[in-house]
Amino acid sequence: MDSLRQEKIHKFEEFVDRRLKPDLVRAIAERDKVFDQQKIFSDLRKNIENLEKNSVTNLRTLVNLGSEVYMQAEVPDTQRIFVDVGLGFHVEFTWSEALKFISLREEKLERQIEEYTRLIASIKAQIKLVCEGIRELLQIPEEKTVEGRVF
Amino acid sequence: MGKPEVKGTVTPLSSMFPPEEVQKAAKLVEEKLSEKRNEMSQLKEFIADNTSLINLVQKLPDELHHDIMVPFGKAAFFPGRLIHTNEFLVLLGESYYADRTAKQTVDILKRRGKSLMSKVDALKAEMQDLKAEASFFDSTASEVAEDLVEIREYEEDNSNQSESQSGPTELESPTLAETDHKMDSKMGASKDDEYARLMSRLEELEKEELAAENGEIDEDEDEDEDEDANATETDGDENELTEAAFHRKKDEGYSSLDHGQRFSESQPTRQLQQSKGKEAMREEISNKYNHQDLTNQFSCTGLTAEPLTKGEMSCGRIIHQDKMLNPSVNASVPSENKPVQTSKSKFDSSKAFTGSIVEHTENLEKKTPGQNTTPSESSGSKPSKPVSRFKMQRK
Repeated sequence: MDSLRQEKIHKFEEFVDRRLKPDLVRAIAERDKVFDQQKIFSDLRKNIENLEKNSVTNLRTLVNLGSEVYMQAEVPDTQRIFVDVGLGFHVEFTWSEALKFISLREEKLERQIEEYTRLIASIKAQIKLVCEGIRELLQIPEEKTVEGRVF
Repeated sequence: MGKPEVKGTVTPLSSMFPPEEVQKAAKLVEEKLSEKRNEMSQLKEFIADNTSLINLVQKLPDELHHDIMVPFGKAAFFPGRLIHTNEFLVLLGESYYADRTAKQTVDILKRRGKSLMSKVDALKAEMQDLKAEASFFDSTASEVAEDLVEIREYEEDNSNQSESQSGPTELESPTLAETDHKMDSKMGASKDDEYARLMSRLEELEKEELAAENGEIDEDEDEDEDEDANATETDGDENELTEAAFHRKKDEGYSSLDHGQRFSESQPTRQLQQSKGKEAMREEISNKYNHQDLTNQFSCTGLTAEPLTKGEMSCGRIIHQDKMLNPSVNASVPSENKPVQTSKSKFDSSKAFTGSIVEHTENLEKKTPGQNTTPSESSGSKPSKPVSRFKMQRK
Protein backbone atom coordinates (compact mmCIF):
# COMPACT_ATOMS: atom_id res chain seq x y z
CA MET A 1 0.00 0.00 0.00
CA ASP A 2 2.72 2.34 0.94
CA SER A 3 4.77 1.66 -2.10
CA LEU A 4 1.79 2.38 -4.31
CA ARG A 5 1.29 5.65 -2.57
CA GLN A 6 4.93 6.49 -2.85
CA GLU A 7 4.73 5.81 -6.51
CA LYS A 8 1.79 8.09 -6.96
CA ILE A 9 3.43 10.83 -5.01
CA HIS A 10 6.53 10.38 -7.05
CA LYS A 11 4.53 10.66 -10.24
CA PHE A 12 2.80 13.80 -9.08
CA GLU A 13 6.03 15.40 -8.10
CA GLU A 14 7.56 14.54 -11.42
CA PHE A 15 4.60 16.00 -13.22
CA VAL A 16 4.97 19.22 -11.34
CA ASP A 17 8.67 19.43 -11.87
CA ARG A 18 8.75 18.45 -15.47
CA ARG A 19 5.65 19.95 -16.95
CA LEU A 20 4.19 22.61 -14.79
CA LYS A 21 7.25 24.36 -13.50
CA PRO A 22 8.92 24.81 -16.88
CA ASP A 23 5.63 25.97 -18.29
CA LEU A 24 5.45 28.54 -15.56
CA VAL A 25 8.97 29.69 -16.22
CA ARG A 26 8.30 30.05 -19.91
CA ALA A 27 5.10 31.98 -19.41
CA ILE A 28 6.82 34.36 -17.05
CA ALA A 29 9.62 34.91 -19.54
CA GLU A 30 7.19 35.74 -22.30
CA ARG A 31 5.36 38.15 -20.10
CA ASP A 32 8.61 39.85 -19.19
CA LYS A 33 9.35 40.37 -22.84
CA VAL A 34 6.05 42.11 -23.32
CA PHE A 35 6.79 44.21 -20.26
CA ASP A 36 10.03 45.32 -21.87
CA GLN A 37 8.27 46.32 -25.04
CA GLN A 38 5.78 48.26 -23.06
CA LYS A 39 8.53 50.08 -21.24
CA ILE A 40 10.24 50.97 -24.53
CA PHE A 41 7.14 52.51 -25.93
CA SER A 42 6.30 54.40 -22.80
CA ASP A 43 9.83 55.83 -22.75
CA LEU A 44 9.46 56.88 -26.34
CA ARG A 45 6.21 58.55 -25.63
CA LYS A 46 7.71 60.48 -22.75
CA ASN A 47 10.60 61.60 -24.91
CA ILE A 48 8.38 62.80 -27.69
CA GLU A 49 6.23 64.69 -25.23
CA ASN A 50 9.40 66.24 -23.88
CA LEU A 51 10.51 67.31 -27.31
CA GLU A 52 7.15 68.81 -28.00
CA LYS A 53 7.13 70.63 -24.72
CA ASN A 54 10.52 72.18 -25.28
CA SER A 55 9.99 72.68 -28.98
CA VAL A 56 13.25 71.09 -29.75
CA THR A 57 14.17 71.21 -33.38
CA ASN A 58 17.85 70.38 -33.34
CA LEU A 59 19.24 67.50 -31.47
CA ARG A 60 22.78 66.45 -30.69
CA THR A 61 23.17 62.89 -29.58
CA LEU A 62 25.88 60.30 -29.17
CA VAL A 63 25.42 57.27 -31.36
CA ASN A 64 26.73 53.92 -30.21
CA LEU A 65 28.87 52.47 -32.98
CA GLY A 66 29.18 49.16 -31.14
CA SER A 67 31.13 48.04 -28.09
CA GLU A 68 30.35 51.35 -26.41
CA VAL A 69 32.23 53.54 -28.85
CA TYR A 70 30.20 56.69 -29.41
CA MET A 71 30.20 59.33 -32.06
CA GLN A 72 28.44 62.65 -32.14
CA ALA A 73 25.40 62.88 -34.35
CA GLU A 74 23.18 65.80 -35.17
CA VAL A 75 19.51 65.76 -35.96
CA PRO A 76 18.67 68.95 -37.81
CA ASP A 77 14.96 68.41 -38.02
CA THR A 78 13.12 66.58 -35.31
CA GLN A 79 9.72 66.97 -36.85
CA ARG A 80 9.90 63.67 -38.62
CA ILE A 81 10.27 60.55 -36.60
CA PHE A 82 10.30 56.99 -37.86
CA VAL A 83 8.63 54.53 -35.54
CA ASP A 84 8.93 50.77 -35.63
CA VAL A 85 5.51 49.33 -36.30
CA GLY A 86 6.57 45.72 -36.35
CA LEU A 87 7.57 43.24 -39.05
CA GLY A 88 10.65 45.33 -39.81
CA PHE A 89 8.74 48.43 -40.93
CA HIS A 90 9.35 51.95 -39.76
CA VAL A 91 6.71 54.53 -40.53
CA GLU A 92 7.37 58.20 -40.81
CA PHE A 93 5.31 60.14 -38.32
CA THR A 94 4.90 63.62 -37.10
CA TRP A 95 4.91 64.06 -33.37
CA SER A 96 1.20 63.94 -32.84
CA GLU A 97 0.78 60.95 -35.16
CA ALA A 98 3.57 59.22 -33.35
CA LEU A 99 1.93 59.80 -30.03
CA LYS A 100 -1.35 58.43 -31.27
CA PHE A 101 0.33 55.34 -32.61
CA ILE A 102 2.23 54.80 -29.43
CA SER A 103 -0.89 54.91 -27.30
CA LEU A 104 -2.56 52.35 -29.57
CA ARG A 105 0.51 50.15 -29.29
CA GLU A 106 0.54 50.40 -25.55
CA GLU A 107 -3.07 49.25 -25.35
CA LYS A 108 -2.29 46.19 -27.40
CA LEU A 109 0.66 45.39 -25.20
CA GLU A 110 -1.43 45.70 -22.10
CA ARG A 111 -3.92 43.20 -23.42
CA GLN A 112 -1.10 40.78 -24.14
CA ILE A 113 0.25 41.21 -20.66
CA GLU A 114 -3.11 40.44 -19.18
CA GLU A 115 -3.38 37.24 -21.18
CA TYR A 116 0.00 36.10 -19.98
CA THR A 117 -0.90 36.96 -16.43
CA ARG A 118 -3.99 34.79 -16.66
CA LEU A 119 -1.96 31.91 -18.07
CA ILE A 120 0.61 32.21 -15.33
CA ALA A 121 -2.11 32.24 -12.70
CA SER A 122 -3.69 29.08 -14.08
CA ILE A 123 -0.36 27.27 -14.11
CA LYS A 124 0.28 28.30 -10.55
CA ALA A 125 -3.14 27.03 -9.58
CA GLN A 126 -2.42 23.66 -11.18
CA ILE A 127 0.84 23.40 -9.31
CA LYS A 128 -0.96 24.16 -6.10
CA LEU A 129 -3.57 21.52 -6.87
CA VAL A 130 -1.01 18.81 -7.42
CA CYS A 131 0.80 19.77 -4.26
CA GLU A 132 -2.42 19.49 -2.34
CA GLY A 133 -2.97 16.07 -3.81
CA ILE A 134 0.47 14.99 -2.70
CA ARG A 135 -0.21 16.35 0.71
CA GLU A 136 -3.42 14.39 0.96
CA LEU A 137 -1.64 11.23 0.01
CA LEU A 138 0.94 11.87 2.64
CA GLN A 139 -1.81 12.79 5.03
CA ILE A 140 0.00 15.78 6.24
CA PRO A 141 -2.32 17.96 8.26
CA GLU A 142 -3.80 20.81 6.30
CA GLU A 143 -2.04 24.07 6.47
CA LYS A 144 -4.15 26.61 8.08
CA THR A 145 -4.82 29.61 5.93
CA VAL A 146 -4.14 32.84 7.67
CA GLU A 147 -7.43 34.07 8.88
CA GLY A 148 -8.15 37.60 9.65
CA ARG A 149 -9.06 38.41 13.11
CA VAL A 150 -12.73 38.09 13.68
CA PHE A 151 -13.95 40.70 15.96
CA MET B 1 63.91 -24.21 -9.19
CA GLY B 2 60.93 -25.27 -7.37
CA LYS B 3 57.78 -24.29 -8.91
CA PRO B 4 56.84 -21.05 -7.37
CA GLU B 5 53.57 -20.68 -5.65
CA VAL B 6 51.06 -18.86 -7.64
CA LYS B 7 48.31 -17.14 -5.91
CA GLY B 8 45.94 -14.86 -7.55
CA THR B 9 42.85 -12.80 -7.28
CA VAL B 10 40.29 -12.05 -9.85
CA THR B 11 38.55 -8.78 -9.57
CA PRO B 12 35.94 -7.63 -11.96
CA LEU B 13 36.64 -4.16 -13.15
CA SER B 14 33.11 -3.16 -12.50
CA SER B 15 33.78 -3.42 -8.80
CA MET B 16 36.65 -1.02 -9.07
CA PHE B 17 34.92 1.39 -11.41
CA PRO B 18 31.22 1.08 -10.94
CA PRO B 19 29.64 1.61 -14.32
CA GLU B 20 27.05 4.11 -13.15
CA GLU B 21 29.63 6.29 -11.56
CA VAL B 22 31.83 6.15 -14.59
CA GLN B 23 28.91 7.19 -16.72
CA LYS B 24 28.04 9.95 -14.33
CA ALA B 25 31.57 11.22 -14.40
CA ALA B 26 31.54 11.09 -18.16
CA LYS B 27 28.33 13.10 -18.26
CA LEU B 28 29.68 15.72 -15.90
CA VAL B 29 32.70 16.19 -18.04
CA GLU B 30 30.50 16.44 -21.11
CA GLU B 31 28.47 19.17 -19.50
CA LYS B 32 31.50 21.14 -18.53
CA LEU B 33 32.79 20.73 -22.03
CA SER B 34 29.60 22.11 -23.54
CA GLU B 35 29.73 25.04 -21.16
CA LYS B 36 33.20 25.82 -22.28
CA ARG B 37 32.09 25.57 -25.88
CA ASN B 38 29.40 28.14 -25.30
CA GLU B 39 31.86 30.48 -23.70
CA MET B 40 34.17 29.93 -26.60
CA SER B 41 31.51 30.83 -29.15
CA GLN B 42 30.64 33.93 -27.19
CA LEU B 43 34.24 35.04 -27.08
CA LYS B 44 34.55 34.45 -30.80
CA GLU B 45 31.53 36.65 -31.35
CA PHE B 46 33.13 39.41 -29.34
CA ILE B 47 36.28 39.13 -31.36
CA ALA B 48 34.34 39.34 -34.62
CA ASP B 49 32.48 42.42 -33.41
CA ASN B 50 35.70 44.01 -32.37
CA THR B 51 37.30 43.54 -35.76
CA SER B 52 34.29 44.92 -37.62
CA LEU B 53 34.27 47.92 -35.30
CA ILE B 54 37.93 48.55 -36.02
CA ASN B 55 37.15 48.61 -39.72
CA LEU B 56 34.27 51.02 -39.20
CA VAL B 57 36.28 53.37 -37.05
CA GLN B 58 38.96 53.45 -39.68
CA LYS B 59 36.51 54.27 -42.44
CA LEU B 60 34.45 56.97 -40.76
CA PRO B 61 36.99 59.81 -40.79
CA ASP B 62 37.04 59.59 -44.58
CA GLU B 63 34.02 61.88 -44.73
CA LEU B 64 33.13 65.07 -42.94
CA HIS B 65 29.56 64.04 -42.39
CA HIS B 66 27.67 60.82 -42.73
CA ASP B 67 23.92 60.74 -43.27
CA ILE B 68 22.43 58.26 -40.93
CA MET B 69 19.28 57.31 -39.13
CA VAL B 70 19.79 58.28 -35.55
CA PRO B 71 18.09 55.87 -33.16
CA PHE B 72 15.84 57.36 -30.58
CA GLY B 73 15.29 54.72 -27.98
CA LYS B 74 14.76 51.20 -29.20
CA ALA B 75 11.79 51.72 -31.44
CA ALA B 76 12.24 55.03 -33.27
CA PHE B 77 14.68 56.79 -35.57
CA PHE B 78 15.45 60.29 -36.60
CA PRO B 79 17.08 61.08 -39.90
CA GLY B 80 20.31 62.86 -39.09
CA ARG B 81 24.02 63.19 -39.70
CA LEU B 82 27.17 61.99 -38.05
CA ILE B 83 29.38 64.97 -37.31
CA HIS B 84 32.89 65.36 -35.93
CA THR B 85 33.78 62.18 -37.61
CA ASN B 86 37.21 61.97 -36.07
CA GLU B 87 36.11 62.18 -32.48
CA PHE B 88 35.15 59.03 -30.66
CA LEU B 89 33.92 58.63 -27.12
CA VAL B 90 35.24 55.31 -25.84
CA LEU B 91 34.05 53.60 -22.69
CA LEU B 92 37.03 52.59 -20.60
CA GLY B 93 34.96 50.84 -17.96
CA GLU B 94 33.47 51.93 -14.66
CA SER B 95 31.62 54.78 -16.34
CA TYR B 96 34.88 56.38 -17.44
CA TYR B 97 34.90 57.64 -21.01
CA ALA B 98 37.69 58.99 -23.15
CA ASP B 99 37.53 61.24 -26.18
CA ARG B 100 39.86 59.81 -28.74
CA THR B 101 40.71 60.19 -32.40
CA ALA B 102 40.19 57.42 -34.88
CA LYS B 103 43.75 56.16 -34.73
CA GLN B 104 43.81 56.13 -30.97
CA THR B 105 40.48 54.35 -30.88
CA VAL B 106 41.80 51.71 -33.22
CA ASP B 107 44.74 51.16 -30.86
CA ILE B 108 42.40 50.74 -27.92
CA LEU B 109 40.28 48.27 -29.84
CA LYS B 110 43.32 46.30 -30.95
CA ARG B 111 44.48 45.95 -27.38
CA ARG B 112 41.03 44.73 -26.44
CA GLY B 113 41.20 42.18 -29.25
CA LYS B 114 44.50 40.86 -27.95
CA SER B 115 43.16 40.27 -24.50
CA LEU B 116 40.18 38.47 -26.00
CA MET B 117 42.49 36.22 -28.01
CA SER B 118 44.46 35.29 -24.93
CA LYS B 119 41.19 34.40 -23.20
CA VAL B 120 40.26 32.21 -26.13
CA ASP B 121 43.59 30.40 -25.93
CA ALA B 122 43.18 29.76 -22.22
CA LEU B 123 39.71 28.42 -22.87
CA LYS B 124 41.02 26.13 -25.60
CA ALA B 125 43.56 24.66 -23.22
CA GLU B 126 40.85 24.00 -20.69
CA MET B 127 38.73 22.31 -23.29
CA GLN B 128 41.61 20.07 -24.25
CA ASP B 129 41.98 18.90 -20.70
CA LEU B 130 38.30 18.24 -20.43
CA LYS B 131 38.33 16.28 -23.67
CA ALA B 132 41.15 14.09 -22.39
CA GLU B 133 39.19 13.45 -19.25
CA ALA B 134 36.10 12.61 -21.22
CA SER B 135 37.90 10.16 -23.45
CA PHE B 136 39.39 8.45 -20.44
CA PHE B 137 36.00 8.10 -18.86
CA ASP B 138 34.51 6.80 -22.06
CA SER B 139 37.14 4.16 -22.47
CA THR B 140 36.81 3.16 -18.85
CA ALA B 141 33.08 2.92 -19.21
CA SER B 142 33.32 0.76 -22.27
CA GLU B 143 35.82 -1.48 -20.63
CA VAL B 144 33.74 -1.83 -17.55
CA ALA B 145 30.77 -2.58 -19.71
CA GLU B 146 32.67 -5.37 -21.32
CA ASP B 147 33.16 -6.99 -17.96
CA LEU B 148 36.86 -6.84 -17.93
CA VAL B 149 38.30 -8.59 -15.00
CA GLU B 150 41.48 -7.79 -13.32
CA ILE B 151 43.57 -10.82 -12.67
CA ARG B 152 46.35 -10.64 -10.27
CA GLU B 153 48.80 -13.34 -9.79
CA TYR B 154 51.34 -13.46 -7.14
CA GLU B 155 54.28 -15.59 -7.63
CA GLU B 156 56.89 -16.22 -5.08
CA ASP B 157 60.23 -17.43 -6.08
CA ASN B 158 63.07 -18.67 -4.01
CA SER B 159 64.07 -15.20 -3.10
CA ASN B 160 60.55 -14.60 -1.96
CA GLN B 161 59.92 -11.87 -4.35
CA SER B 162 56.40 -11.46 -5.39
CA GLU B 163 55.22 -10.44 -8.70
CA SER B 164 51.84 -9.21 -9.52
CA GLN B 165 50.34 -8.89 -12.84
CA SER B 166 46.95 -8.13 -14.03
CA GLY B 167 45.14 -9.16 -17.07
CA PRO B 168 41.67 -9.12 -18.26
CA THR B 169 39.89 -12.37 -18.47
CA GLU B 170 38.91 -11.52 -21.94
CA LEU B 171 42.41 -10.68 -22.74
CA GLU B 172 41.60 -7.14 -23.25
CA SER B 173 43.99 -4.55 -22.24
CA PRO B 174 42.92 -2.39 -19.42
CA THR B 175 43.13 1.27 -19.91
CA LEU B 176 46.03 3.16 -18.68
CA ALA B 177 44.08 4.26 -15.72
CA GLU B 178 43.17 0.76 -14.88
CA THR B 179 46.72 -0.24 -15.14
CA ASP B 180 47.67 2.53 -12.86
CA HIS B 181 45.02 1.47 -10.49
CA LYS B 182 46.18 -2.08 -10.59
CA MET B 183 49.68 -1.02 -10.21
CA ASP B 184 48.85 0.86 -7.14
CA SER B 185 47.03 -2.03 -5.62
CA LYS B 186 49.68 -4.39 -6.70
CA MET B 187 52.27 -2.31 -5.15
CA GLY B 188 50.46 -2.63 -1.96
CA ALA B 189 50.70 -6.34 -2.34
CA SER B 190 54.33 -6.53 -3.24
CA LYS B 191 57.15 -5.51 -1.12
CA ASP B 192 57.71 -1.84 -1.08
CA ASP B 193 61.41 -1.76 -0.77
CA GLU B 194 61.79 -4.28 -3.48
CA TYR B 195 59.61 -2.16 -5.63
CA ALA B 196 61.50 0.99 -4.89
CA ARG B 197 64.75 -0.66 -5.71
CA LEU B 198 63.45 -2.09 -8.87
CA MET B 199 61.86 1.13 -9.93
CA SER B 200 65.00 3.12 -9.56
CA ARG B 201 66.96 0.57 -11.47
CA LEU B 202 64.35 0.41 -14.14
CA GLU B 203 64.48 4.11 -14.59
CA GLU B 204 68.18 4.05 -14.97
CA LEU B 205 68.00 1.31 -17.47
CA GLU B 206 65.22 3.09 -19.21
CA LYS B 207 67.33 6.12 -19.75
CA GLU B 208 70.17 4.05 -21.02
CA GLU B 209 67.91 2.22 -23.33
CA LEU B 210 66.36 5.34 -24.65
CA ALA B 211 69.69 6.76 -25.49
CA ALA B 212 70.81 3.57 -27.07
CA GLU B 213 67.60 2.96 -28.89
CA ASN B 214 67.59 6.21 -30.67
CA GLY B 215 69.92 5.41 -33.41
CA GLU B 216 70.28 1.70 -33.44
CA ILE B 217 68.59 -1.19 -34.91
CA ASP B 218 66.34 -2.50 -32.30
CA GLU B 219 66.81 -6.03 -33.17
CA ASP B 220 70.50 -6.03 -32.87
CA GLU B 221 70.33 -4.22 -29.68
CA ASP B 222 67.80 -6.48 -28.30
CA GLU B 223 69.60 -9.53 -29.34
CA ASP B 224 72.79 -8.34 -27.90
CA GLU B 225 71.11 -7.29 -24.81
CA ASP B 226 69.25 -10.47 -24.58
CA GLU B 227 72.33 -12.51 -24.78
CA ASP B 228 74.02 -10.45 -22.24
CA ALA B 229 71.07 -10.56 -20.05
CA ASN B 230 70.78 -14.24 -20.12
CA ALA B 231 72.59 -14.52 -16.93
CA THR B 232 71.29 -11.61 -15.02
CA GLU B 233 68.05 -10.02 -14.34
CA THR B 234 69.37 -6.59 -14.89
CA ASP B 235 70.09 -7.40 -18.42
CA GLY B 236 66.65 -8.64 -18.71
CA ASP B 237 65.42 -5.41 -17.37
CA GLU B 238 67.52 -3.59 -19.82
CA ASN B 239 66.18 -5.60 -22.59
CA GLU B 240 62.78 -4.96 -21.46
CA LEU B 241 63.56 -1.36 -21.21
CA THR B 242 65.02 -1.40 -24.62
CA GLU B 243 62.02 -3.08 -25.90
CA ALA B 244 59.93 -0.58 -24.18
CA ALA B 245 61.96 2.23 -25.56
CA PHE B 246 61.84 0.76 -28.96
CA HIS B 247 58.19 0.42 -28.88
CA ARG B 248 57.92 3.81 -27.50
CA LYS B 249 59.81 5.08 -30.40
CA LYS B 250 57.42 3.43 -32.63
CA ASP B 251 54.88 5.48 -30.96
CA GLU B 252 53.08 2.52 -29.78
CA GLY B 253 51.94 2.55 -26.34
CA TYR B 254 50.63 -0.49 -24.78
CA SER B 255 50.50 -0.94 -21.15
CA SER B 256 50.92 -4.54 -21.80
CA LEU B 257 53.77 -3.91 -24.06
CA ASP B 258 55.79 -2.43 -21.35
CA HIS B 259 54.94 -5.30 -19.22
CA GLY B 260 55.79 -7.70 -21.90
CA GLN B 261 59.10 -6.14 -22.25
CA ARG B 262 59.74 -6.48 -18.66
CA PHE B 263 58.91 -10.04 -19.00
CA SER B 264 62.16 -11.74 -19.24
CA GLU B 265 62.44 -15.25 -20.08
CA SER B 266 65.67 -16.25 -21.40
CA GLN B 267 66.43 -19.14 -23.50
CA PRO B 268 69.14 -19.48 -25.99
CA THR B 269 66.84 -20.77 -28.62
CA ARG B 270 64.59 -17.92 -28.12
CA GLN B 271 67.18 -15.36 -28.74
CA LEU B 272 67.50 -16.38 -32.27
CA GLN B 273 63.86 -16.05 -32.74
CA GLN B 274 63.83 -12.94 -30.73
CA SER B 275 64.98 -10.67 -33.41
CA LYS B 276 62.42 -11.93 -35.80
CA GLY B 277 59.82 -11.99 -33.18
CA LYS B 278 60.63 -8.54 -32.11
CA GLU B 279 60.28 -7.14 -35.52
CA ALA B 280 57.06 -8.84 -36.13
CA MET B 281 55.90 -7.95 -32.73
CA ARG B 282 56.80 -4.40 -33.15
CA GLU B 283 55.08 -4.10 -36.41
CA GLU B 284 52.08 -5.82 -35.22
CA ILE B 285 52.08 -3.87 -32.08
CA SER B 286 52.17 -0.69 -33.98
CA ASN B 287 49.35 -1.88 -36.09
CA LYS B 288 47.32 -3.10 -33.30
CA TYR B 289 47.66 -0.84 -30.45
CA ASN B 290 46.49 2.63 -29.99
CA HIS B 291 48.84 5.16 -28.75
CA GLN B 292 49.10 5.20 -25.10
CA ASP B 293 51.31 6.91 -22.80
CA LEU B 294 54.24 4.60 -22.87
CA THR B 295 56.11 6.28 -20.13
CA ASN B 296 53.20 6.02 -17.86
CA GLN B 297 52.75 2.47 -18.70
CA PHE B 298 56.33 1.84 -18.34
CA SER B 299 56.36 3.24 -14.93
CA CYS B 300 53.25 1.31 -14.27
CA THR B 301 54.87 -1.79 -15.39
CA GLY B 302 57.76 -0.86 -13.27
CA LEU B 303 55.50 -1.13 -10.37
CA THR B 304 54.43 -4.49 -11.40
CA ALA B 305 57.85 -5.43 -12.52
CA GLU B 306 59.16 -5.02 -9.11
CA PRO B 307 57.65 -8.10 -7.80
CA LEU B 308 59.14 -10.18 -10.50
CA THR B 309 61.94 -12.19 -9.27
CA LYS B 310 65.04 -12.08 -11.14
CA GLY B 311 65.49 -14.91 -13.39
CA GLU B 312 62.01 -16.03 -12.91
CA MET B 313 59.79 -16.69 -15.71
CA SER B 314 56.95 -14.38 -15.79
CA CYS B 315 54.25 -15.72 -13.73
CA GLY B 316 51.51 -13.65 -15.04
CA ARG B 317 50.99 -11.90 -18.19
CA ILE B 318 49.05 -8.94 -18.93
CA ILE B 319 47.42 -9.27 -22.14
CA HIS B 320 46.62 -5.95 -23.42
CA GLN B 321 44.61 -5.51 -26.39
CA ASP B 322 42.64 -2.53 -27.19
CA LYS B 323 39.16 -3.49 -27.55
CA MET B 324 38.73 -0.93 -30.12
CA LEU B 325 41.39 -2.43 -32.22
CA ASN B 326 40.11 -5.64 -33.48
CA PRO B 327 37.44 -7.88 -32.24
CA SER B 328 39.21 -10.60 -34.05
CA VAL B 329 42.22 -9.87 -32.04
CA ASN B 330 40.28 -10.40 -28.94
CA ALA B 331 39.00 -13.64 -30.22
CA SER B 332 42.38 -14.87 -31.08
CA VAL B 333 43.95 -13.57 -27.95
CA PRO B 334 42.68 -16.22 -25.64
CA SER B 335 43.90 -18.96 -27.80
CA GLU B 336 47.11 -17.27 -28.33
CA ASN B 337 47.69 -16.39 -24.79
CA LYS B 338 50.41 -18.81 -24.40
CA PRO B 339 51.99 -18.27 -27.71
CA VAL B 340 52.12 -14.58 -27.13
CA GLN B 341 53.87 -15.10 -23.98
CA THR B 342 56.37 -17.31 -25.56
CA SER B 343 56.94 -14.81 -28.26
CA LYS B 344 57.50 -12.24 -25.64
CA SER B 345 59.92 -14.46 -23.97
CA LYS B 346 61.86 -14.48 -27.13
CA PHE B 347 62.76 -10.92 -26.66
CA ASP B 348 63.75 -11.24 -23.17
CA SER B 349 65.29 -14.60 -23.25
CA SER B 350 67.02 -15.40 -20.08
CA LYS B 351 65.85 -12.22 -18.54
CA ALA B 352 64.02 -12.08 -15.37
CA PHE B 353 60.49 -11.42 -16.03
CA THR B 354 59.83 -8.19 -14.36
CA GLY B 355 56.53 -7.27 -15.73
CA SER B 356 53.52 -8.32 -17.51
CA ILE B 357 53.65 -9.76 -20.87
CA VAL B 358 51.98 -8.09 -23.68
CA GLU B 359 50.33 -10.41 -25.98
CA HIS B 360 49.64 -9.41 -29.46
CA THR B 361 47.34 -11.67 -31.25
CA GLU B 362 48.97 -11.09 -34.56
CA ASN B 363 52.31 -11.75 -33.14
CA LEU B 364 50.96 -14.62 -31.31
CA GLU B 365 49.81 -16.30 -34.41
CA LYS B 366 53.14 -15.98 -36.03
CA LYS B 367 55.16 -16.87 -33.10
CA THR B 368 52.92 -19.43 -31.71
CA PRO B 369 54.05 -22.26 -33.86
CA GLY B 370 57.66 -21.73 -33.03
CA GLN B 371 57.07 -20.81 -29.51
CA ASN B 372 54.65 -23.45 -28.70
CA THR B 373 57.10 -26.18 -29.32
CA THR B 374 59.62 -24.83 -26.93
CA PRO B 375 57.29 -24.39 -24.06
CA SER B 376 55.74 -27.72 -24.60
CA GLU B 377 59.10 -29.28 -24.69
CA SER B 378 60.30 -27.60 -21.64
CA SER B 379 57.28 -28.27 -19.61
CA GLY B 380 54.36 -30.50 -19.64
CA SER B 381 50.95 -29.26 -20.27
CA LYS B 382 50.64 -25.86 -18.80
CA PRO B 383 47.69 -24.38 -17.16
CA SER B 384 46.11 -21.41 -18.76
CA LYS B 385 48.42 -19.16 -16.88
CA PRO B 386 51.29 -18.25 -19.07
CA VAL B 387 53.49 -17.71 -16.13
CA SER B 388 54.03 -21.28 -15.46
CA ARG B 389 55.02 -21.93 -18.98
CA PHE B 390 57.70 -19.37 -18.91
CA LYS B 391 58.89 -20.52 -15.68
CA MET B 392 59.30 -23.87 -17.08
CA GLN B 393 61.16 -22.56 -19.97
CA ARG B 394 63.52 -20.68 -17.89
CA LYS B 395 64.69 -23.70 -16.13
